[in-house]
Amino acid sequence: MSQASAIPRISLTWLLVAQVLVIIPHLSHLPLWVIGLWLGSAAWRVQIFRMRARYPNAWAKGGLMLAAALGVFLSRGSLIGLDAGVVLLVAAFVLKLLEMRTRRDALVLVFLGFFVVVTAYLFDDSMLMAFYSLLPVTALLAALIGLQQSNLATQPWPTVRLAGGMMLQALPVMLLLFVFFPRMGPLWSLPVPNDKATSGLSDSMTPADIADLSRSAALAFRASFNGETPPRSELYWRALTFDRFDGRRWSQSDYAEFAPAAQWQKQGEPVSYSIVMQPSSQRWLFALDVAETTLEQTRQMSDFRLQRRQPVDRSLIYQATSWPQALRETQPSTESLRRALQLPEQGEPRSRAWAEQLKRDYPQPEQLVQAMLSHFNQQPFAYTLRPPALGQNNIDDFLFETRSGFCAHYAGAMTYVLRAAGIPARVVAGYQGGEYNPAGNYVQVRQFDAHAWVEYWQSGRGWVSVDPTFQVAPERIESGLEDALSGEQTFLEDSPFSPLRYRNLSWLNELRLAWDNINYGWQRWVLGYQSQQQLEFLQRWLGRVDAQTLVMGLVGGGGLLLGLLALWLFKPWQRERDPQQRVFQRFERLLARHGVTRQPGEGPRDYAARAALQLPAQAQAIQAFALAFEAQRYAGQATSVAELHLCLRALRLSLPWRLTRLES
Amino acid sequence: MRAKLDSVLEAVNQVLLGKEQQVRLALTCLLAEGHLLIEDLPGMGKTTLSHTLAKVLGLSFQRIQFTSDLLPGDILGTSVFDKDTGQFVFHPGPIFAELVLADEINRATPKSQSALLEAMEEGQVTIEGATRPLPQPFFVIATQNPVSQGGTFALPESQLDRFMMRLSLGYPGKAAEKALLLGDSRRSLLPHLPAVLNHSELARVQAEIPKVRASDALVDYVLRLVDATRTQPQFAWGLSPRASLALLAAARAWAFLAGRDYVIPEDVQAVLPAVVGHRLRERADPAGHGGGSLVQWLLREVPAL
Amino acid sequence: MAAFKPYWNRWLSRRIPVAASVRLNQRRIFIIPSQVGLAFMAALLLMLLAAINYQNSLAYALTFLLSSVFVVAILHTYRNLAGLILKAGAAPAVFAGEPATFRVRLESSARAHQAVSLGWPPAALQTLDVPAAGQVECQLNLPTTQRGWLRPGRLRVESRFPLGILVAWSWVDLDQQVLVYPRPLAGDLPLSAGASDDQEEEGSRAHGQGVDDYQGLKSYQPGDSKRRLHWKAYSRGQGLLVKDFASITGRDLYLDFESLGGDVEARLSLLCHWVLQLSERQQPFALSLPGQVLAANTGELHRDACLRALALFGRGV
Repeated sequence: MSQASAIPRISLTWLLVAQVLVIIPHLSHLPLWVIGLWLGSAAWRVQIFRMRARYPNAWAKGGLMLAAALGVFLSRGSLIGLDAGVVLLVAAFVLKLLEMRTRRDALVLVFLGFFVVVTAYLFDDSMLMAFYSLLPVTALLAALIGLQQSNLATQPWPTVRLAGGMMLQALPVMLLLFVFFPRMGPLWSLPVPNDKATSGLSDSMTPADIADLSRSAALAFRASFNGETPPRSELYWRALTFDRFDGRRWSQSDYAEFAPAAQWQKQGEPVSYSIVMQPSSQRWLFALDVAETTLEQTRQMSDFRLQRRQPVDRSLIYQATSWPQALRETQPSTESLRRALQLPEQGEPRSRAWAEQLKRDYPQPEQLVQAMLSHFNQQPFAYTLRPPALGQNNIDDFLFETRSGFCAHYAGAMTYVLRAAGIPARVVAGYQGGEYNPAGNYVQVRQFDAHAWVEYWQSGRGWVSVDPTFQVAPERIESGLEDALSGEQTFLEDSPFSPLRYRNLSWLNELRLAWDNINYGWQRWVLGYQSQQQLEFLQRWLGRVDAQTLVMGLVGGGGLLLGLLALWLFKPWQRERDPQQRVFQRFERLLARHGVTRQPGEGPRDYAARAALQLPAQAQAIQAFALAFEAQRYAGQATSVAELHLCLRALRLSLPWRLTRLES
Repeated sequence: MRAKLDSVLEAVNQVLLGKEQQVRLALTCLLAEGHLLIEDLPGMGKTTLSHTLAKVLGLSFQRIQFTSDLLPGDILGTSVFDKDTGQFVFHPGPIFAELVLADEINRATPKSQSALLEAMEEGQVTIEGATRPLPQPFFVIATQNPVSQGGTFALPESQLDRFMMRLSLGYPGKAAEKALLLGDSRRSLLPHLPAVLNHSELARVQAEIPKVRASDALVDYVLRLVDATRTQPQFAWGLSPRASLALLAAARAWAFLAGRDYVIPEDVQAVLPAVVGHRLRERADPAGHGGGSLVQWLLREVPAL
Repeated sequence: MAAFKPYWNRWLSRRIPVAASVRLNQRRIFIIPSQVGLAFMAALLLMLLAAINYQNSLAYALTFLLSSVFVVAILHTYRNLAGLILKAGAAPAVFAGEPATFRVRLESSARAHQAVSLGWPPAALQTLDVPAAGQVECQLNLPTTQRGWLRPGRLRVESRFPLGILVAWSWVDLDQQVLVYPRPLAGDLPLSAGASDDQEEEGSRAHGQGVDDYQGLKSYQPGDSKRRLHWKAYSRGQGLLVKDFASITGRDLYLDFESLGGDVEARLSLLCHWVLQLSERQQPFALSLPGQVLAANTGELHRDACLRALALFGRGV
């Protein structure tokens, strides 16, 4: 009945506002024509409201829908998949506004709007987005309220104030639900947004790849240590290893995927920490050597990296414990050693010759490695992100001609030479260091912290890590890329406004760190609040977690919160505004409990007289109260409710205590 | 002053036995400067009450017996040609008294009735173009037989509204009637009654009454009562503002008589039946008589607080 | 369902007794999700599925926020009705076939009540706003078919404000009734002239012969017909006067139920028509119904008494 009636102006106003607010976060990834469609439809709708235009007829509506679908297909290449789905949803949201005639249509539009807000979260789940999204939700609720208002000429502000007020009142219950509602794994897999430009390490490496990464200030992950944070020179975050070299490119052999996990022995003090990882679209996780994690569906691979079964498509939180001094693979399989000696058939003659010479000079692998490191240290090697071009034999050129490069060059060259000298070795790719945030006591690791180093195998000691870059540019390891590059001004030269470039302004830096800390907390405690985090959190606070606790927490907490809200909304203690009346009502209730109920038309004096007759023992107290009340209320004596309270208390004390009403 | 009022009541009660409540209401009405309508069967003491009141309050008293052939001139007075002076001389009618008893007012024609009622309302009469003020104070006590008796012209609602109160004396109680039968003739007591108040004292009392405090809360109660008569479906029509003024004035006088300088809801309730009973009609029975059950409803249902 | 109805009615009348003035409170307000609310829940479920499948905390948060808004809306919807006072207003009598108009007054004791709908389903409900500490009056129409007392039954008061996802309602019985007069039907009327046995009068028909003599003016009293007001005199400032007519005695018309043919309702309708006609002409008439005689008279009071007798004939009271 009321569904079919026209849409109040106030609701239309708020729907238009909500539409703007809902679509704004999508602007970055919507095709331009959708925005055009939206502006056109909104203008048309306004004209309809002003009686300057008509509603689109069935042909126009069908045509627009088809055109929108076609447009989605053309611009996204498909009609399914998340991106296409979102564009279709937004197009439907836009077109529905145009054909909206009845309240039912408006309801559909409001619900669609909520969905569009949800899809925006899939593209951006930052804290700013979360707070921003309160605006469209408020506007949608205001539109919903506007649909119910019968008074067509109301002002828009009270409506939105009511919507906002209701949302504020809903917050406590929402928090409760958020904490206690049991999280579960995905019921079925769904397409993920694929326009998320994830940068990061990939499963093969040329020096140029690392150079690309070092230009990006994007966050890779953040780590909080339980206990003291180790010095940054010890923070070698392993991602994966490269054991195959084709002359230009280091890559991972398939063997690493299928080989059984390598054996290792815990040794020394463990370090435990938690990591909040940004989406990387890759399956490996980041950890210090040698790590174990409690994360499900994750295992340690043959090269000691941690790998998940699914790629990391959304930010991931995991706990890890590492034993930096562990002995790794003291009895290796022959296959893994064979792979750590693989080299191209030919090429790099000077390097191979140098390797032969080193092997002759230093029969012990340990000595040989030391000799190489001191070579890097003492010869005029330079650390730069702008190395000169290398020729066909790029390792030869690097080692003997240009002598300038960065970690990928050094690690690649050293591994090559070690292998040529018969020492099993491989390149480890990962991140090194990270910026310590004192505000939150955690380390944030960005893409420019990407690093490559070397590990070689030595009988009795297993795999040993060495970092040739440290010999060339120790400041890269000890204080980071920026200091290592201080001479050449290449640090983040593509992003002149990145706050990271202005770390020397202390106030700005503090602000940046504080902001990053907030975001870290957001990620850990809000975005990361999924099944495992929830379990740990609830266990920490409640001791044990089972269905019963959850239900009790939800029901009990919800009831309590709603009760408080109801009290606040209804203010039963204020139902009677007049303080004198309030006292008199208490007087009445007191006497009613003793069987004397006042009739509505009974005056205070008559009532008191009747009560005094029924309760002769308290007659004096009753009369005293009635007189005091009469004097204040009718004789105009200075109003002091305290006096009435005194009389009432005297009466209450003189009466035997009763809780329930005595039926007279 | 209040002691004097008490002795007024005492004096009247000596003459009119067992009618303390009605006597008090009648006095309340006069103190509040309202006119009184007494409705009862003949012989219930209506005339006695009026006469006694006049006597104790020290007022000049005139009685007009209304009959069907009574003319307005019989009430107001006429000009008579005086041969000696050759001029018309005005002979004032019985209305020029301080307390006028209009006995059996419903037996006169509406024309004569309205002559009296207009005088009541305006406090002056206009005869042959000349306006003559009525004495101060001026009270009318009208009596009326219940309408069921034949040969009468019932006062219409507009006229009834001019009486502040309507009282019904009713049969005396058994003890009072016995005392009446055993004792002297009550009327014979009348000439011996002293006037308890003089004019200036009465005027002073009347001036005191509007000063009796009626608090906001009390006025709200009066408003609730009046509002109920205007909005509840069982009332044929609501009370006029004149009625609400009368109600408050009567309640003030009643409170004053009770020795208080402020009004409480019980005062309003005490005078309510007398003040509004004759102004209300049930919707289901608009031609019917009296709003007794409506008044009871008001007393019972309208929140006193 | 039908078998359940008496129990429901009995329970309802215990819970919400019949009264001319009802204040809505927690005993009298019921609340459930509306259809829109069910759709809202379905939408929430979809959002929850999206949140689960994408493991997206913000989607969870929005789902929970809207669920909480739903729960909070229960309080708000309830609050929009709670404390509302409904009072019955007078309902003037109508003729069968005309819509009966019931007046209901809504009073707010403190806060404003928005979009409160009233009515007797299946008729459409009427929606109105009650300002804070104010009052509004609304007129509700109900079709009438039969003469007699029309009791409209329980009045539905509902509100979906603020979100429309919940509906709070109450059924109140304000003890309202309206007198429905028979439907007037024109027709000829065989007249019997009162006590007169004059042969010439027999069979004469009341076709509006002027039997009244103008007598003079008298002052207006409530109950006098407003048709006879002497407006000229009023405009000259002489107050409200009515023209006084005296009818010639012995020629009072006598409307007699027994002298008519046809079924009861048709006879009553015919009598009703003539009561109206004769009253309009200021012609005195008497009305005789089996077991009841209204003596000859004129005026609005007489007319109303006659119509009332016709309406309630055979219906008890």
